Amino acid sequence: MVDLHLLLQGFATVLSGYNAVALVMGSFFGIIIGAIPGLTATMGIALLVPFTFGMNPFTGIVMLLGIYTGAIYGGGIASILIKTPGTPAAAATVFDGYPLAQKGLAGKAIGMATIASGIGGTFTALCLTFFAPILANFALRFSAPEYFALAVFGLSVTVTLTGKSPLKGIISGCLGLLIAMVGLDPMGGFPRFTFGTVQLTGGFSFVPMLIGLFALSEGFRQVEVILTAPKVSAVLTNIIPRLRELKECTRTFIRSCIIGLIVGVTPAIGAETACFIGYSEAKRTSKHPELFGTGILEGVAAPQCAENASTGGDLLPMLTLGLPGDAATAVLMGALTIHNLQPGPLLFRDHTDLVHQIFAGMITANVVFVILGLTFARFFAKVINIDRRFLVPLIFIACMVGSYAIGNDIFDMITCVFFGFIGYVMIRYDYPVSPMVLAQILGVMMESNFRRSMAMSQDSLLILVTRPIALTILILAAFTTFTGIRRQRKSLQMEEELAAAAAAAREGRQG
Amino acid sequence: MANLTMKKADVIAVVIVIPICLYVFYESGKWPVPALLGRPFVIPRGVAAFLLATALMLLYRALTGRAFPLEKRLEGADLRRVTGAAVLTFGYLFVVERIGFLGTTFLYALLFAWVLGERRWLRLILFGILVPFVVFAIFSTALHVPLPRGWIEGTLRDHGFALLLR
Repeated sequence: MVDLHLLLQGFATVLSGYNAVALVMGSFFGIIIGAIPGLTATMGIALLVPFTFGMNPFTGIVMLLGIYTGAIYGGGIASILIKTPGTPAAAATVFDGYPLAQKGLAGKAIGMATIASGIGGTFTALCLTFFAPILANFALRFSAPEYFALAVFGLSVTVTLTGKSPLKGIISGCLGLLIAMVGLDPMGGFPRFTFGTVQLTGGFSFVPMLIGLFALSEGFRQVEVILTAPKVSAVLTNIIPRLRELKECTRTFIRSCIIGLIVGVTPAIGAETACFIGYSEAKRTSKHPELFGTGILEGVAAPQCAENASTGGDLLPMLTLGLPGDAATAVLMGALTIHNLQPGPLLFRDHTDLVHQIFAGMITANVVFVILGLTFARFFAKVINIDRRFLVPLIFIACMVGSYAIGNDIFDMITCVFFGFIGYVMIRYDYPVSPMVLAQILGVMMESNFRRSMAMSQDSLLILVTRPIALTILILAAFTTFTGIRRQRKSLQMEEELAAAAAAAREGRQG
Repeated sequence: MANLTMKKADVIAVVIVIPICLYVFYESGKWPVPALLGRPFVIPRGVAAFLLATALMLLYRALTGRAFPLEKRLEGADLRRVTGAAVLTFGYLFVVERIGFLGTTFLYALLFAWVLGERRWLRLILFGILVPFVVFAIFSTALHVPLPRGWIEGTLRDHGFALLLR
């Protein structure tokens, strides 16, 4: 159970000195990253990880939590003002946010988005605080076969639920697994796939690779689309929503909070999915669904609340089981390991005070972005107009210098650029990048625990199916993979039919 | 990458993936098998076999005309910008240790902004000067991370600018 005394101490630590400054700075930077279309929360965290090296581990973590929550919220600002989601997580906010801006109510929409995000984020942070210790306590019973099964579950969900094509997701995930094997064998200690080079003996550096795959690849993407960046012209007034407007959205808040939490806990899907489900459920259960899409505050509150409510859910499996929920939490996990903190149940046993500080940091981060969002809304709106011709080179330089800073080694910079370019090519040709990164974390977990299981059972695979928890997780993995692939095939079929119908209609008009 | 259709891209991906899988099988055959530590080749070979099967399925889909349509082709000015950015970035890697962070980043920032379409020289030069010095100040001074010096910074230090660069 959560220790309230430690939690209060955690709040005191978060609000003291450098930690408070780091949290506010992280949140501020996160909102800016989120508000600029094309820059994602994952990219923001990846970019800022090197800046946390010189910091005390908790100061660095609290800063990254600020970036994470701030960026997820910030995406809604661009959705409302320029009809382009700042982050993929804010895609559904466009539906009602932009029509509100066209009616001259951009300020009101941003105000509602801010409060809704704050409610969702705080709810999920509280859930994380109360459920994480229970789950971690349960996970202390896990042994190698259970961890192997968990890694298989995480991998199967990741490769089947991300991207358009499951085949490409699997290829990306498998390549990630093979990349994770470069370096010394986890049990035998002999070199694997190093091609005789000393630099590869320790494997590819994880953080430069993350920066490359998530930040630099997006940088290349921005180079491609740089001329299409829209500009903000709306004037923001009446930003703080009225009590009556908030009361009208109470049911939406409750619904979206629960949706966000459930989606967040599910591996491989996060805020991007939560916002759409939150919006469609709000529309489905509304007394006036016909008004959705015409510019109503409920249509802004639902997706924003759901997307931020997924953040705590994403962190839950990462902190308690070492199983990242999505790309952003994978990067956060990388940052924690840099500070010599290994997420998992042992983190709760060995660093109880730090875990409670993280909970306090997460709750505070959600309050901080609400204050910043309401106070500096006009500034964040102007940030969208930033000249990309100067911003993009800055991103590239920050990526490369940040990678170099990890070990003062040019090889890390080369790793970042190499994976950045690979990531860009992958995005261009519909290969999802997240499975590749998640597979590297889960691959290490899967391989070492498989080998341990085999050592425990004297090379008998039966150990994986004779332990009830491991067997349940493996069955769940098979079921999720099967349903995931089936669902994707169905949606692809629907897309193909729609495309064919559109083509037939075009031909008909031309005829 | 220019004018590449999704079908061609899928075929190229498979052509890259197949030798990787074969190499995994080849190299894992040479590994020692430590006693009581599980067989080290099981997972790598399993992953390679699964990857190979998936790649062949992708190839089948591509050759039977079931590849997904490409969102947008990379051509014209877009292609020139991406190529310029890639050339500058890979070039940066080769010279940053020799010339040093300050000089290389000045040129990189200036040329990159120019490649992206900025043509006002005063802005370009100001940007080129400001970026390396600000990044240098953050990393070298605030975070105590030494950045590549190269001959430009070495020369500046030799001529009495050490205090400025500290």
